[in-house]
Amino acid sequence: MSEAVKWNRTISDVNDGILANLGKPHPTYYLAWAGAIIFLLIGAITWGLEITYGMGITGKTSPVYWGVLITDFVFWVGIGHAGTLISAILFLFRAKWRNTVNRSAEAMTVFAVITAGLFPLIHVGRLWVAMYWIPPLPNTNNVWSNLRSPLAWDLFAISTYLTISLLFWYMGLVPDLASIRDRVKGVRRFIYGIMCFGWRGTAKQWHHYEAGYGFLAALATPLVLSVHSIVSWDFAMSIQPGWHTTIFPPYFVAGAILSGCAMVYTLLVPVRKMFRMEEFIRPEHLEACIKLTLLTSTIVFYAYGIEFFVAWYSGNVYEWGIFEKRAIGPYAFYFWVMVFCNCIFPMIWWSKRMRNNIAVSMFVAILVNVGMWFERYNIIVSSLAEDFLPGSWGHFQPSLGDICLSIGSFGWFMFWFLIFCRFFPIVSMSELKLIMPKPLSKKHH
Amino acid sequence: MSKRPGGILAVYQYLDNVVDAMKAVQLRSDCAGHEVFSPTSYHEIEEALDAGPSPVRWFTLSGALTGTVTGFGLALWLDYDWPLVVGGKLAGLYSIPAYVVIGFELTILFGGLMTILGMLVMGRLPNPKQRILDPRFTDDRFGIFVPNASLDSEQARVLREFGAEEIRIIESK
Repeated sequence: MSEAVKWNRTISDVNDGILANLGKPHPTYYLAWAGAIIFLLIGAITWGLEITYGMGITGKTSPVYWGVLITDFVFWVGIGHAGTLISAILFLFRAKWRNTVNRSAEAMTVFAVITAGLFPLIHVGRLWVAMYWIPPLPNTNNVWSNLRSPLAWDLFAISTYLTISLLFWYMGLVPDLASIRDRVKGVRRFIYGIMCFGWRGTAKQWHHYEAGYGFLAALATPLVLSVHSIVSWDFAMSIQPGWHTTIFPPYFVAGAILSGCAMVYTLLVPVRKMFRMEEFIRPEHLEACIKLTLLTSTIVFYAYGIEFFVAWYSGNVYEWGIFEKRAIGPYAFYFWVMVFCNCIFPMIWWSKRMRNNIAVSMFVAILVNVGMWFERYNIIVSSLAEDFLPGSWGHFQPSLGDICLSIGSFGWFMFWFLIFCRFFPIVSMSELKLIMPKPLSKKHH
Repeated sequence: MSKRPGGILAVYQYLDNVVDAMKAVQLRSDCAGHEVFSPTSYHEIEEALDAGPSPVRWFTLSGALTGTVTGFGLALWLDYDWPLVVGGKLAGLYSIPAYVVIGFELTILFGGLMTILGMLVMGRLPNPKQRILDPRFTDDRFGIFVPNASLDSEQARVLREFGAEEIRIIESK
């Protein structure tokens, strides 16, 4: 599709166009940053209160001990997935449009996973002893953590995911940091010179770089599919009705990519305005992102349907009981928000006119993000609240503390993302040059 | 640190010109030690370089295999050091399916780390003190540096013949 893009720019305009705006964002940038700081403060203060006064400030109550905080964890891990999909899987598929959005998508991944990583710590309360619960560290009892537990798998999966995404993202940055080094003077030149490792762009360096990039993409591809599968096993490995299903891994991966693509869109639209990137992140590229969102939305739609069908067809009263209650019970509101936001509203994107209408698409992309948060809430809370014994049933209501911590996570994420946008090129310049017309001499024209 | 040799630097605007020049220079024994610069990873240059598959793949493979062994090894060692018999399920080799996850994740982790290391080692990085011959090579220009040559040499003539837009002397430093 990007072959159809008519670039009225050449590779000589790339560095000028992208770096010129690096230090001079639109004033709305500072507004967004101030908003992020306020959200972050709300979250930080609430976390402080939680550590001081205990878990009571969250809504956790018997029998629902995984509430909003674990919902946030799964939500943020899911957000990260689109970044790796775009940077690694689309790289292997040679989808050229990814070269314009991969940098910001990868940055989103890194910061989303960092945000996600906070939630298990917030969730456990006494985070300073959390180190001894899951990682296999020597402790005074000589008992190791149980590596047959999906929670231990999750630790390995998330930390590997964070490390690999960070390396992949930084590796892509190296040639661009060298470009900045070659344009600036003084202290900044020195700092960017250190950060780009002294990259010179020799043919041999590119040769090894390309090989390494390909291998990292090949390693990141199974990784991204495994990470949310493993997150889904946190649930599916238990016998809780509504959780104990084999559909969970692909269902979670599709949902993660759906929410991630919607988030990429939600971030790209304002950022490309703030940093005046309209000429490089073209409407065609945004549309391609929407197409991915639509595709994953249909997969998620199918998964919701099949999950219901299997619950009914299995004849298992506990399983069917949960699903019936999800649709018409006390959590029906969350369920229907989830269905409408993730499955029904995205269907307007079958129309090309709607896909290209940035305002409408932005609105629907935000709805998808809301819907995906509700999906995780729905899965986690409704299953925990009502299991096999009616005597132990309960009801969960998010508390103000839960809401503040969730708001704080958005502040924390945006804080880092906006800092990134200010100091690093948000479009991968060296990769953008690859999809533009090659600089050939007259004799080839 | 030994002095870096001086020589001549040719700057090219067009990809096809630099590829042609590169092919010619590679055949000449008086151009040994030359370097080609490019703003991005054009496959035309990589093909002209004809360097064979990059050794980075051996780094990746060794890292990945080390990761597999470490993952399974760690899990099994913990089990034999202090078996956790949960729900009547035996620890150790009987639990191998559960450890596939750990083995898999560490395969990816170590493989990825070694890939980065391989790229750095093979690309002679990090080297922040490296001299930058021309700032345009990270922007939109290509270049060929030939050590120990002068502007009126035979090497300079070849570089110019293939359409260099500029040739200049680089002092040894």
